[in-house]
Amino acid sequence: MHATRPTDDAALARPSSQVARPVPGSTAGPGVPPAARSAPVAAPDAPPEQELDEATLVVRAQEGDVRAFEVLARRHQAVLFRVAVRIVGDPADAEDALQDALLDAWRRIARFHRDAAFSTWMYRIVTNSCLDLLRRRRPALPVDEVGEERLAGPGSDGPERAAEADAGMAALRAALGRLPDEQRVCWVLRELEGMGYTEIAHITGATETAVRGRIHRARKELAEVMRAWR
Amino acid sequence: MSATPGATPRTTPGAAPRTTLHVGDLVVARLAARAARGVPGVAGLRPDLTQALLGVAGTVFGQQRDTLPADGATAVVEGGHADVSLTVLTRLGHNCRDLAAAVQRAVSAEVGAYTGLQVTVRVTIADVLI
Amino acid sequence: MALDPSAAATGPGADEQIEPLACGRDAAVVWDHAADGMLDEHERGCPHCAAAIADAHGLDGVVHRMAQEQPLPPPSLMDTVMEAVLDTVTAELRPQDLLALDSPAGPARLSRPAAARVLRHAVDRMDGMRARSCRIEQDGVHLTVAITVTARFGVDLASVTARVRQMVVAAGEQALGAPVARVDITVVDLWDEP
Repeated sequence: MHATRPTDDAALARPSSQVARPVPGSTAGPGVPPAARSAPVAAPDAPPEQELDEATLVVRAQEGDVRAFEVLARRHQAVLFRVAVRIVGDPADAEDALQDALLDAWRRIARFHRDAAFSTWMYRIVTNSCLDLLRRRRPALPVDEVGEERLAGPGSDGPERAAEADAGMAALRAALGRLPDEQRVCWVLRELEGMGYTEIAHITGATETAVRGRIHRARKELAEVMRAWR
Repeated sequence: MSATPGATPRTTPGAAPRTTLHVGDLVVARLAARAARGVPGVAGLRPDLTQALLGVAGTVFGQQRDTLPADGATAVVEGGHADVSLTVLTRLGHNCRDLAAAVQRAVSAEVGAYTGLQVTVRVTIADVLI
Repeated sequence: MALDPSAAATGPGADEQIEPLACGRDAAVVWDHAADGMLDEHERGCPHCAAAIADAHGLDGVVHRMAQEQPLPPPSLMDTVMEAVLDTVTAELRPQDLLALDSPAGPARLSRPAAARVLRHAVDRMDGMRARSCRIEQDGVHLTVAITVTARFGVDLASVTARVRQMVVAAGEQALGAPVARVDITVVDLWDEP
């Protein structure tokens, strides 16, 4: 049964004889260029999905293929988790935000437009998930007001941070946690993830001018705080 | 989900003694799930209520009722008839059509032999493991 | 299409204004130049730019160290996500997601995405071929399959198309148990072995 893989299950497989079986390896007919002919003739196993290109995986996931989605998600999870930690400031919160984001991505993937970069789309979903989580955690604080002083923010000095060997980095983390969320998101994507203004604008849904402004304010604020550490 | 039937004796309207049954939905569902698992090629059952079941069983008897999932099978017993719904997983190498029929026959036989009920088995193959 | 309503609501405002330096330069641009080590002649000599440059350089080291951090997701994360995904898949199986199987023993259905996966797999097993999209329609018991494929450079497309058709028909009959009446094949891309 060539339509299926010759695994242990083959023993259980229903023998089927009434259908003409295409013979694997018979591709290399007279009209086939040498490159194709030199390929192995033995029935190849299908390549593992982990080796598939992103465009193929995205289309498959859009058509409801759960495994294709899993491969995509596994491929991006380390980067997305890193971004989430940097935005929300806490690994446990980042885990929650990323789980929500990936489930959200599965639900929305049919609406992903293939002319956009998949990674940008995933960044956007994770970023929004992080912002949602932060809003839920601090519902009373006006998160969008620039310069609003925070009582507590992600990355503020908790016990685990106090033990940080790099005191400068601890101070930066605390200052970062006090930035307005929208500023922190833009700054993280620019300064820690190394993205350009255009991509950040696509991810955040803000204009490029707004992105530049937020990053600049964040930079100035952080520089101010960090002067003491120079 | 409220636990309606359980082991409550069930009598058809009209109360003909020969149709009085003492088999609850959950009993039938458990029998069905076990029978289905024994069919070669069934890699597992998914505990869920498919829309197909809700759409049919929820209205076919002219009333809404809760269905009790048992390890991937749901059953509705009404009079001398059981409507069983299963969502199964299989593996590549098993013909889906034949597997569905094999599950239907195995479940019908098991539930019928055990309870004397007439059985309709709806099978949904939710995934083919590759 | 902003997913984030608050971002969309943030119009031009205080957030966007970048006050120019006393010398007229855009402070953000000067900062970017300093960070990239691409200062121009004016910036190198201008006292107003110097403060912005000093801030940029002052942050540079600690930001660089922070960027080096690579927190790793817990290994269980994807398992949790996939459990949730599978739950939604099963719970949300709608009648239109199902193909009918021709069983004499009662109503039988097959998940359309699962069927597509089986047919794609049949194509993936062909040397130099990958299935991409696979859309299945059903008319009575018969299936109509529209499949897009990518091929390795050098694969003869005409002969391979015939084989794709054979493979899909065979997989439909043998693995699904549903006759495939029609196969539309589109080659959408070519690739090289990595």
